[in-house]
Amino acid sequence: MVQVKYSPSKFIVSKLKSICPRKGTEYFALIGFIIILSIILMAIFAPFIAPYNPIKKVGGILEEPNGRFILGTDGLGRDIFSRIIFGARTAISVTFLAVIISLSFGVLLGLLSGYIGGKFDSIFSLVMDAIYSFPGLILAIVLAAMLGPGILNTAIAIAVIYTPTYFRMVRGLVLSLKESLFVEAARAIGAKDRTIVFKYIFPNVISSVPIVLSLNAADAVLTLAALSFLGLGLPAPTPDWGFDLKAGHAYLASKIWWPSTFPGLMIVILTLGFSLLGEGINEILTPELRR
Amino acid sequence: MASLKVYIVRRVLLAIPMIFILLSIVFLIMRVAGDPVSAILGGHAPQEQIEQIKQQLGLNKPIIFQFFGYIGQLLRGNLGRSLIWGQRPVVNEIWDHFPATLELSISSFLISIIIGIFTGTVAATHRNRFLDHTFRLYGIITYGLFIPWIGIMLQLLFGVYLGLLPIGGRIGTLMEPKSITGLYVLDSLLTLNFDSLVSAIKHLILPSVTLGVYLSGIYTRLTRTHLMETLEKDFIKAARARGLSERAVIYKHGLKNAFIPILTMMGLQFALLLVGAVLTEITFSWPGMGTLLFERITYRDFTTVQGIIVFFALIVVTVNLLVDIIYAYIDPRIRY
Amino acid sequence: MKARRMGIFKVILVILPLVALYLTPATASASTTKPIVLGTTDKITVLDPAKTYDFYTWEVFHNIGEGLLKYKPGTTELMPGIAKSYRVSSDGLEYTFKLREGLKFTDGQPLNAAAVKWSIDRVMRLKLDPSWLVSAFVKKVEVVDNYTVKFVLKKPVSFFPSLVTTTPYIPISSRSYPADKVAEPTVGHYGPYKIKKWVRDVELVLEANPDYYGPQPKSKLFVVKFYKNAATMRLALETGEIDVAWKSLRPIDIKSLKSKGKQKILEVPGPYIRYIICRCNKPPFDDVRLREAVAAAIDRDRICREAYKGTVKPLYSMVPMGMWSHIDAFKQEYGERNLELAKKLLTEAGYSKEKPFEIELWYTPTHYGDLEADVAAIIKESLEETGLIKVTLKSAEWATYAAKFIAAGTMPIFLLGWYPDYIDPDDYTTVFLHSKWSPDMGVFYSNPTMDNLLDKARTEIEIKNRTELYKKVQKLMAKEAPVIPLFQGILTAATQPNIEGVILDPVMLLRYYLIYRK
Repeated sequence: MVQVKYSPSKFIVSKLKSICPRKGTEYFALIGFIIILSIILMAIFAPFIAPYNPIKKVGGILEEPNGRFILGTDGLGRDIFSRIIFGARTAISVTFLAVIISLSFGVLLGLLSGYIGGKFDSIFSLVMDAIYSFPGLILAIVLAAMLGPGILNTAIAIAVIYTPTYFRMVRGLVLSLKESLFVEAARAIGAKDRTIVFKYIFPNVISSVPIVLSLNAADAVLTLAALSFLGLGLPAPTPDWGFDLKAGHAYLASKIWWPSTFPGLMIVILTLGFSLLGEGINEILTPELRR
Repeated sequence: MASLKVYIVRRVLLAIPMIFILLSIVFLIMRVAGDPVSAILGGHAPQEQIEQIKQQLGLNKPIIFQFFGYIGQLLRGNLGRSLIWGQRPVVNEIWDHFPATLELSISSFLISIIIGIFTGTVAATHRNRFLDHTFRLYGIITYGLFIPWIGIMLQLLFGVYLGLLPIGGRIGTLMEPKSITGLYVLDSLLTLNFDSLVSAIKHLILPSVTLGVYLSGIYTRLTRTHLMETLEKDFIKAARARGLSERAVIYKHGLKNAFIPILTMMGLQFALLLVGAVLTEITFSWPGMGTLLFERITYRDFTTVQGIIVFFALIVVTVNLLVDIIYAYIDPRIRY
Repeated sequence: MKARRMGIFKVILVILPLVALYLTPATASASTTKPIVLGTTDKITVLDPAKTYDFYTWEVFHNIGEGLLKYKPGTTELMPGIAKSYRVSSDGLEYTFKLREGLKFTDGQPLNAAAVKWSIDRVMRLKLDPSWLVSAFVKKVEVVDNYTVKFVLKKPVSFFPSLVTTTPYIPISSRSYPADKVAEPTVGHYGPYKIKKWVRDVELVLEANPDYYGPQPKSKLFVVKFYKNAATMRLALETGEIDVAWKSLRPIDIKSLKSKGKQKILEVPGPYIRYIICRCNKPPFDDVRLREAVAAAIDRDRICREAYKGTVKPLYSMVPMGMWSHIDAFKQEYGERNLELAKKLLTEAGYSKEKPFEIELWYTPTHYGDLEADVAAIIKESLEETGLIKVTLKSAEWATYAAKFIAAGTMPIFLLGWYPDYIDPDDYTTVFLHSKWSPDMGVFYSNPTMDNLLDKARTEIEIKNRTELYKKVQKLMAKEAPVIPLFQGILTAATQPNIEGVILDPVMLLRYYLIYRK
């Protein structure tokens, strides 16, 4: 008898391999997922992982990475490594908040607008299209500048520009489903509109959300970083990668590279995580014809 | 062709409410917190003085009045005057800063296309081999790169450590070429001013590469996908059979087909280009519209910010319109 | 074969420009007179004395223009400018200036008494940002004869001569400036330099004015280059692209340049101050003990050392160091820092470890430079060291900040800064401490004794007497602590080793016409 050793990781990988048509792409979703999970864990367990208090001066000013401070200290003597770890909290919370807000509003409005149609739909579509086609960050900057600093305010500023993404996707699906047979059948048996929307259409719409969600989260991370970089995100001394990147920029000319490099790197990694996840899910769910 | 005209007209009409909506959003939002007079004089001039100047600028009138006044002005083609400092016409402010953004956008765009098409082609022709995976990954990574970070890393490497390139500004002291188009590189060429040309290019390199690399990813993927599809087609096999060199096959026949989707993607990417330009400008102290916008938001210069938003909206709408029209022209099924 | 040639050609096409790039010089090719280039991160806001109200544009006006009186470089002593002498009437209400004869603006218009009257009237008539510096004091201007002009004041004000040196009082030509709106012509001024070229936010090119009555500028051609970013400016200084870096190098860059030792670093205490304002008419800071507690617990040394890396100095009075009548009032009252006193006062006011004094400290993150968040963080920590205070930091972007505290007095305690309008203790005291004006600053402080002292100091002519009065003002201010001074800025200019003539003084307006290359 041949004993096959059961290995969960091998199992996952082989499962992925069988789904993903293109060689190499099976790892995307996995890697993306691992990255995001790590950062979420970093955020949750920050107080346990971080060696120092991120908002207190714990060392000399702008110390190079050394034994005590593995990534060095910033302009106020705070440990950069600790700030990076706590920065994960800011990044994750604002991103999630923003995505949840835009998802909720976008999907809801998309469902309603698509189903109700008529004037309601025309107006909403127009507003959503206007926001969608306009360079998002610019609008977010204006919103964030007016709303002021804070986690909720920043999340709102970001959510506003991504709501149309969900709106359009959902509305499009609703429009196509509206005329489909099973909806007609539901109407024929006298189902109320509300039931049709939520019981029949919604579940079909939901399956397209994960990819968009992932890529959207990637965008949101970048937008948040941009807002903080411009000083419009969260109030100091909250550890925030975008803000720290900007703060470090001033020391560039003195060849002090560490305050900027590491926060920026984290932004890129987190974005990459979401992008890979999105791409990976895309591969899994929409396989290309094998050649 | 009549239906094409109708299509164009319909799209133009649709564009107007979109601009209106954006304008309204920005108009109202801006007035929520602070005003330009307090922003400039706050904490320095007596409150009386501040109130009086606000009066002069019409900022004490009810918002509805201000709004319709502005719309009326806008329809007559008047973007108003800045509310701060010299109160220059907004059009002048925009005109002063637009060429810088245009120059940055064009050069970044060219770089992104060149890199994108090149890498996409290589990826397509080395399908499923190492280079393909590398460039596919490149496509994904670049999409997620944070522009200020790339910019700062490049500044560190080329500006500070290697000392090869300047890290900010558009051109060296007293080196602006005679102004014809406002685009320094072009003006230097037109006036045969070699020193200016070199200075302008040196200053343009890092920002353009930053933005260009960021934008290139999407073109990599697009080129790769379409080129791959095209190369499977029969007429390619026929061309090969006829003895055409591989290079001719790829460039002449393959890429030509990928051209349309790339073109439409350019249009769709336009908003992304503007966003990227704003971040790049701020990172490199490039004196363009992005820098202007950010500065004026800080000072609550309502009219200038509104003017910039309207300007951006117009550009975006125009570009989208052009793309749609080209598409409709090529594919009659789109018009309805 | 063809393909290979194409390949090589492409390679050459790429290499050639790179080679060319490195063979060419980075700066303008040699010209006959090499200009002095000054870099700054400030900007010219509007080139009209009736509208401009920021320090940098005022500096420009002091180089392309000149007032009736001016300060002797390096001092706060006044000396004749466009006016060769002046007389004050016995009641202190009339100042009569005799102008130098034969002066002409750069557009040809004669600079005479009528021109001076026209300029001042215009400032008052347009009623723009700095106009109160004229209208609050001047009733009218009269032309006595072609070269004699008389100012009639509303009330006697002993610092009027200092006022007269400020930019709104600098005459400009009616030929180039329209009578009833703001304009920015590059001619129509009279001063040591005239404008050769101005590219907004990029550069200002000045050339010596041959018609200037006084000594010609040391450097015939002077260029100001505007930077948006201090790091870029610092690099420009190090690569030799600029000769002088002025306003504002970052503390870290100043330190680094000092240690590198190649450039000259010049420093002098400046008249720029930073402070905390307490809202005195509403709880909690209507209780003077709590204000005193904060004043005692502040750690100025830490702020100067940590946030600013030693490039600013602790300040113990609203009247800056270097100005006559300055005394270290807060140090006399509270020492450098007195945590025990703070704790005592807080306990007296009823606070304890279980029930700490909760403060909402406001600051604005970018208007005063990006170290502000750090300053606020240090203040928070310093106050919390008493164990009896809990600080919540709040911030608002400048435009909101300015509207909020002025309009509504919403902030109980907040950070602010001050650049002087005119060089006189009055400008550092009255506006914060006098009941008539303190609401404008969000202080809402009202004390008749203080008002009396300030009013008297304004009208008193003898410096000796004024000094005594301002000393009393400062002592009272330290006791009541409606405002708490934190630190005073140091003016820093960094220059190439062969540059001379950069004279920094409390007036804070650099005189380009004194700078030259050895």
